[in-house]
Amino acid sequence: MTVIGVLGGSGTVGRVVVDRLTEYGLGRLRVGGRDLDRAAAVCRAFPQATAEPMRVDLHDPQNLREFCTGCDVVVNCAGPSYQVLDAVARVALAAGAHYVDAAGDLAAIDALESAPPPELDERAAVFSAGLMPGLSGLLPRLLATGPLARLDVYVGGAARIGELSAVDALLTRGPQFGTALAVWRDGRIVPGALAPLRAVTLPGFRGRVHAWPFLSVETARLAADLGVGELRNYTVYVTEAIPRALAAAWADGGPAERHVPAVVAAADADIAATGPYYTLLFQAVPAPGQPAGPDRPRRLLLQTPDSYALSGVVAAITVGELLEGRIKPGARAAAECLDAADVFARLTGDPLVTAAELH
Amino acid sequence: MTPSSSSPDVTDSIEAELSRIWGELLDLDPAGIPPDTGFLRLGGDSVLAVRMSAMVRKRLAVELALSDVTVEITLDHLADLVRRRASGEGAARALPVEIERRPDPSASFPLMPLQQGYFVGQHDGWELSYDSAHFYGDVGLVGVDGDEAADALEDALTRLALHQPMLRARITPEGEQYVLPPDSPGAIPRPRVYDLREAAPDEVEAHLRAVRNEMRTTGPNPLDGPGLDIRLSLLPGDRGRLHTAMSLLTLDGWSATLLNRELLTLAADWNAVLAPLGVDFGDYVTSLGRLRDTEAYAADRDWWWERLDGAPAPPALPLHTDPRDVRPTTMGTREDRLAAERWTALRERCAAHGVTPSAAMVTAFGVVLARWAGHRRMLLNSLQLNRLPLHPDIHRVIGAFATTMLLPVELERGRTFTELAGDVQRTFTEHAAHNLVSGVEVSRELARRRGTTRPIGPVVFQSTLGMDAAMGERQAESAGPLGELVFDDFHHQLRTPQVALEVRFYEVREEMAIVFSLVEELFDADQVDAAFTDLLTLIGSLADGPGWDRVVELPAVGDPEGATGDLSLDRLPERGADQQEGPPADELEQRICELWEEILGVPVLDRATGFFSLGGDSLLAVRALARIAKEVGTAPSVREFLDAPTVAGLAAAVRARLEGSRR
Repeated sequence: MTVIGVLGGSGTVGRVVVDRLTEYGLGRLRVGGRDLDRAAAVCRAFPQATAEPMRVDLHDPQNLREFCTGCDVVVNCAGPSYQVLDAVARVALAAGAHYVDAAGDLAAIDALESAPPPELDERAAVFSAGLMPGLSGLLPRLLATGPLARLDVYVGGAARIGELSAVDALLTRGPQFGTALAVWRDGRIVPGALAPLRAVTLPGFRGRVHAWPFLSVETARLAADLGVGELRNYTVYVTEAIPRALAAAWADGGPAERHVPAVVAAADADIAATGPYYTLLFQAVPAPGQPAGPDRPRRLLLQTPDSYALSGVVAAITVGELLEGRIKPGARAAAECLDAADVFARLTGDPLVTAAELH
Repeated sequence: MTPSSSSPDVTDSIEAELSRIWGELLDLDPAGIPPDTGFLRLGGDSVLAVRMSAMVRKRLAVELALSDVTVEITLDHLADLVRRRASGEGAARALPVEIERRPDPSASFPLMPLQQGYFVGQHDGWELSYDSAHFYGDVGLVGVDGDEAADALEDALTRLALHQPMLRARITPEGEQYVLPPDSPGAIPRPRVYDLREAAPDEVEAHLRAVRNEMRTTGPNPLDGPGLDIRLSLLPGDRGRLHTAMSLLTLDGWSATLLNRELLTLAADWNAVLAPLGVDFGDYVTSLGRLRDTEAYAADRDWWWERLDGAPAPPALPLHTDPRDVRPTTMGTREDRLAAERWTALRERCAAHGVTPSAAMVTAFGVVLARWAGHRRMLLNSLQLNRLPLHPDIHRVIGAFATTMLLPVELERGRTFTELAGDVQRTFTEHAAHNLVSGVEVSRELARRRGTTRPIGPVVFQSTLGMDAAMGERQAESAGPLGELVFDDFHHQLRTPQVALEVRFYEVREEMAIVFSLVEELFDADQVDAAFTDLLTLIGSLADGPGWDRVVELPAVGDPEGATGDLSLDRLPERGADQQEGPPADELEQRICELWEEILGVPVLDRATGFFSLGGDSLLAVRALARIAKEVGTAPSVREFLDAPTVAGLAAAVRARLEGSRR
């Protein structure tokens, strides 16, 4: 019988992965965590699941190898991703498993491809199988029914930021992740082309929001892939608290940990302002002369109360696709190897999705 | 004690200088001004108080907050205040900008908010709008020197246009303004003269009727010529008539009075020289533009924004017709005068009751409206001619300085007129102290919040009482070769957009004029007559005395009660712009989205998005429609656009036009 290992299975993302994998009935689960009691508690919470807890420390290679051995797929929901990079993927592949990472950026893929393990010829390692990156690079493909003159991507809302995610947020800047204020135009990144939008209204976002241009590596690749004339990519905040906290931290420098409390508090202030919600909004402008019609949607909107949990759903769906043999071997980004229509259809039926519109 | 305040010289000089300022403003002997008597009781008013701030700023280099200088202030208090401000104490909310001369006096500059309103009105942008927003007046002349009058007038107008740059102003189709250099063709307005000295009486009558009718209905338009149209009819018997039409786009009410005075002064004396002006209107507007980036401006905006959700509706005056459905060409008038001795008595009684004549008049107007509309809480729109005291010359400059202020009026039952007027004066002063944000901007935000495109403040109050004193000299009655002005033979007409009813109080020599200007088509004439009579009766009782201590009769209802089914000014139907939300449905809608994004600087992603909720204003709407017309070949009028100011609504209007033109 198929065995799926879930690393970080007692975390926010991991619990959802366990839940959905159980629901999809894809196999037996091995739920790994640093704290065996918490992992065991997760297993007990899903009595119908054939799940066993296992204590595992990501930083102990021997321990990690033992966890992966016997798994068909290893799903990693533990972070922070800037530390994990390709380390867990290499162990999983070496143990004969496919690998799915609910996070992990281009940096992780590059690291793995810089010295590709031979198992990559037979197995897949899928990174960025989450919301952003992940859905943010995948779903807009549904709007590319013909050539596009322009594509706008707005992702954000009010979400709790845990301490680990705060570190991620503080460290994931630089050319490996994206370019602030840049736009994709006519096949290249144009820096400094966009200004922050303050107090604007956007479909699917509550009240007035603030949108900060940040052309992520993922959306730049998407733009190149689709041949879009212009792509604008914004991160949306419900107040200016988070951009202010991040800007203050970057200006101040020093170790990221010092600024974590400020970022966590800023996110809490956002939730207090609007309640928790997260929206992905994509809007396309067809190239001139393209016919209009119901089969040529221009807007895709997805909303969830919990962005972390939804990443877990994406990771679980990715596992299913892998086991069905629909993903070819190699190191890949989820946005570039999943089927957008399939994923959108599955998300539409998921209880964590409160709005899914395509029109 | 600080060194400065301990020095007797400095102390003396502050008090002495303030006494001199008050002496000049109030025409009193500086040495005899009692230090403990309020400015109001000494004959001052709010207009003079603003001028006083400018003089204090100039002569003592001390910035007084707008809210500091109330009409009740005494010389002692003022000296104390000046001393505290000079030593940096106290949180003065001073004007945070300095006025500077622009390096290029012919450079273009933006329109003031109220000018924008007039500009858009001329583009048929508002319901209740006209081809031109202008004031027309004609006055009888006797003892005219028929052979010299035409030259004297032309010469006076030329010299005045050299002195007052805004008489050479033009407005661009994009809604900017600039001043033509004196030597550019057409810069100097020329008077038109009709010589009917030999004409028969019926010919004279027909001529005067024709000129009046033409100038009432076709005002000067600074988009294609001078904003001023002056004509002189020379009539038999050394009589004459001086016709003046002024565009509200370039001249406000204060400027109209200035213009008359200076023109007649120059006409009376070939050698008269007006004191040079240290600033012009463009300098003022440019300085105000910098004000928008200051914290003081942000603080005023916050002050207004916090109050908006509780703002009352306009008075629920019963209407015959929806204002949207009438196309008036002129406004109707009711007018009367308060004779000199009663006007003097009224001023004295106002001072004795601690209110300005203007505060008493807005209260009286509010009482009359409350009885007419049947409720006591209402929003009025006050036309403000006060200029921010950025420069001592500012009150001598012609320009469109005027702005508006929204004024909530709340009249309590069981109170005397004295008490009500005190309440209204306090409210007025409090609101006027936050005047860095204009009523036009506040109305725009209120409309956005209420989701309406209907007028927010269609009932207007305007008082220039006290302006004569503020200008210093009296209106000249003799104008050399032009003869003597006969003020009892004065005809006038105002056309101003977005106004259903406007009351005006102003001084004509020793008398007070009381005028209603209104769109007759909207109201029942009997009700207007009754309200005007009610106002005159109330003012009469205030002039004579008994009106002050009487409990004022008022309706029981505070805010107007909802849905009686009858049309009233507070409850105008919104035209259902019920578009389905979603991304733009076709290339035209997409083009509109992109154009709005460019003009407004925000994303426009939904076809149901409203132009005004995105931060657009009427001037930007004119620009957006002009662009659409250029690119697509046609665009609706601003007024049609207001019916459905969304992406889908505009696209539908454009398509309807395109189809109409194909047929």
